[in-house]
Amino acid sequence: MASVYKTLSKSTGKKAPTDENDDAPKGITKNKQRVLILSSRGVTYRHRHLLNDLAAMLPHGRKDVKFDSKSKLYQLNELAELYNCNNVMFFEARKAKDLYIWMSKVPNGPTVKFHAQNLHTMEELHFTGNCLKGSRPVLSFDLAFEQEPHLKVVKELFLHIFGVPQGARKSKPFTDHVMGFSVADGKIWIRNYEIREVEKAKGEEGEEEAAKAKKSKGGDRETDVALVEIGPRFVLTPIIIQEGAFGGPILYENKRFISPNQVRSDLRKSKAGRHNARAEQERDRVAKRGLLGLMAGSKREPEALDTKELFA
Amino acid sequence: MAKEKTSKAAAPKAKPQQKKAVGVVKQKSQKTAKKPVAADSENDDNDDDWEDAEEEQKKVAAPKAKKADSKKQKVQKQQSQKKAQPAPVEDNSDNSDDESDDPDHGIDYSKIGDGDSDSDSESEFEHEIIERKSKYDKYNNAPAADESDDEDDDDEEDDIDLDDVSIDESDEENVAASSRIRQTINNKEGLLAVLRRFALDVSSATPFVVHQSVVSKAVTEESIPTIDDDLARELAFMNQSLEAARAARKQLKKDNVPFTRPTDYFAETLRSDSTMEKVKEKLIEDATAKKASAEARKLRDLKKFGKSVQNAKLQERAKEKRATLDKITQLKRKRQDGTSNPAGATEEDIFDVAVDNELNKGKKRSAGTGTGGGDRGDRGGPNKRQKKDYKFGFGGKTRHAKSGDKESAGDLSGFNAKRMKKPDSRPGKPGMASGKPAGKAFRPGKGKRKAAGGKR
Repeated sequence: MASVYKTLSKSTGKKAPTDENDDAPKGITKNKQRVLILSSRGVTYRHRHLLNDLAAMLPHGRKDVKFDSKSKLYQLNELAELYNCNNVMFFEARKAKDLYIWMSKVPNGPTVKFHAQNLHTMEELHFTGNCLKGSRPVLSFDLAFEQEPHLKVVKELFLHIFGVPQGARKSKPFTDHVMGFSVADGKIWIRNYEIREVEKAKGEEGEEEAAKAKKSKGGDRETDVALVEIGPRFVLTPIIIQEGAFGGPILYENKRFISPNQVRSDLRKSKAGRHNARAEQERDRVAKRGLLGLMAGSKREPEALDTKELFA
Repeated sequence: MAKEKTSKAAAPKAKPQQKKAVGVVKQKSQKTAKKPVAADSENDDNDDDWEDAEEEQKKVAAPKAKKADSKKQKVQKQQSQKKAQPAPVEDNSDNSDDESDDPDHGIDYSKIGDGDSDSDSESEFEHEIIERKSKYDKYNNAPAADESDDEDDDDEEDDIDLDDVSIDESDEENVAASSRIRQTINNKEGLLAVLRRFALDVSSATPFVVHQSVVSKAVTEESIPTIDDDLARELAFMNQSLEAARAARKQLKKDNVPFTRPTDYFAETLRSDSTMEKVKEKLIEDATAKKASAEARKLRDLKKFGKSVQNAKLQERAKEKRATLDKITQLKRKRQDGTSNPAGATEEDIFDVAVDNELNKGKKRSAGTGTGGGDRGDRGGPNKRQKKDYKFGFGGKTRHAKSGDKESAGDLSGFNAKRMKKPDSRPGKPGMASGKPAGKAFRPGKGKRKAAGGKR
């Protein structure tokens, strides 16, 4: 904390001392986050593993047992208060396949509901990266997060929930991973990378080894940063933003979001439509053949323009 | 009667929908006709949205009742509504009596909407929040029961079915144009207000260590050609994070905050050792599989190559053979020509003696068998034809070879009068004497006898 104060006072050196005093406690109180992490009933193993991965990454998180209700989400507010949490990350599984993630600031909003897709847990990805449990991540946000108000809100929520506050209880004092949040295709893509310090490529490997040994002792001028992915990977589509915590007026609604139920039903309908079209075609063909007298029992009425009639 | 009652009760709750329809459809007319101050039209739009959002909640409170509405009443209401609506919009300028205008929430939306433009002090805002908090308790209790409804069929709620909404006759063409438009909410003012309420200070005033967040310099999506291209997409994401990692590292080093983990610092890692072991195993497995497949492919290729080499060799051999044969026939022809032409005979005799010898040898051999032409003489064995004839019966009939004829009847070569005297010497009856009787004359088979007879 002292270092924070020092840097603060350095940066705002010219300001009046009263102002500084005002600033410092603000900095302390401000970034105090605790996240309640829990899921609804009916999550699949993959959802559960993702939850576990995220919980492992958040030392300021409090994992709780499955929440029973899907309709009375406002009860989560009380639950969070019980656990002294000011953020909630709630995994809601529907139909044992769709996952919605609610993220909320608890006492008075906002709440964002996401639809989670393309879940890949740390375990199944087989990436070679690794990092300390509970080390503070660098949060990397896309510039797109600054361009839309709703994305600004989402970014702020991510900052609170995924950013491990300084001096959190089980956090480690080093920074060795980055969480990337990017916006693409109207969705938010989340990645997690290990920061690995490597030599700046210049010579042979043996030389590098020697340089590394030197570096660890003293000056580390020549190192560069490389990233190795750790996992998990997932994609979030924001659906709605509510003003309150699990309630309140809706401030944003994603018009590009199509619910997975809709997608499935459309698929089914298109399949059914295919059969209907075929059946119709078949019926038409039968009728046509009947009209032309090509069917077994049917006989065509002679017409005036028939060859037989014309050249009789 | 009862229906009337419900409809009356529902009437105020049906307001929002009508209002919304009006809000969407009749925005233009409102602006021009009803609103006296049409200076900032953008603000007006936003406020409309804002109200929509607010009304949405009210609507949720009575989702079923709205269906029971009678058209007439709605129209009436709507008329009065239209007159009433511009009022709160105009109220933007004075904040004082806004509280009374919104009785159901107590949230001063217009103030929030104006928040960034005018100079509302921070403290005032704080005060607002506190007020709101107290209202939240009320809010959470009241409409919560309907939340489930809201979430379960939020798809249906999204597009507003205009059949439900009663419409003025004059509005009909407008509505037809805008029917089934998916109504979405994007209340930018409200979002920004909310953001201001809970945002961390990420400006340069706060040290970087507090938040450790970096915003990239470029929009990541621009560097992704197509979203389906996995490699390019992941690369773009990684580059964004790499940039952030570099910036963060630089900043943290500058602030003298420990960044790199020392090599002697051991602690629990995010992924357990067993998981990493698995990963390593997987890597090794992949590598070995790759290696093995490469080896197998190499072997296969080699085999293919070897076969082709063998083929080539065989062909070469055949070619060589043909060439020598050709040479030989040529020589033979030349020689024949030579005999007819006595002038050249001596020369050939001089030069090609060895080859002639060779040729003669082959010829002699084939001549010795007494069959076939000279050309085919050395194919197969030396007396193949003869053997074949013997085997397959060529050159005479083989039927009745064993039947008796005049000659065999007169053949008494095997007869011995002395032997006839021994009574037990019947051949083919083994029971009479063990082994061959000592005195029995051996009679060879017919073929042998014949051959022997031929010799005699």
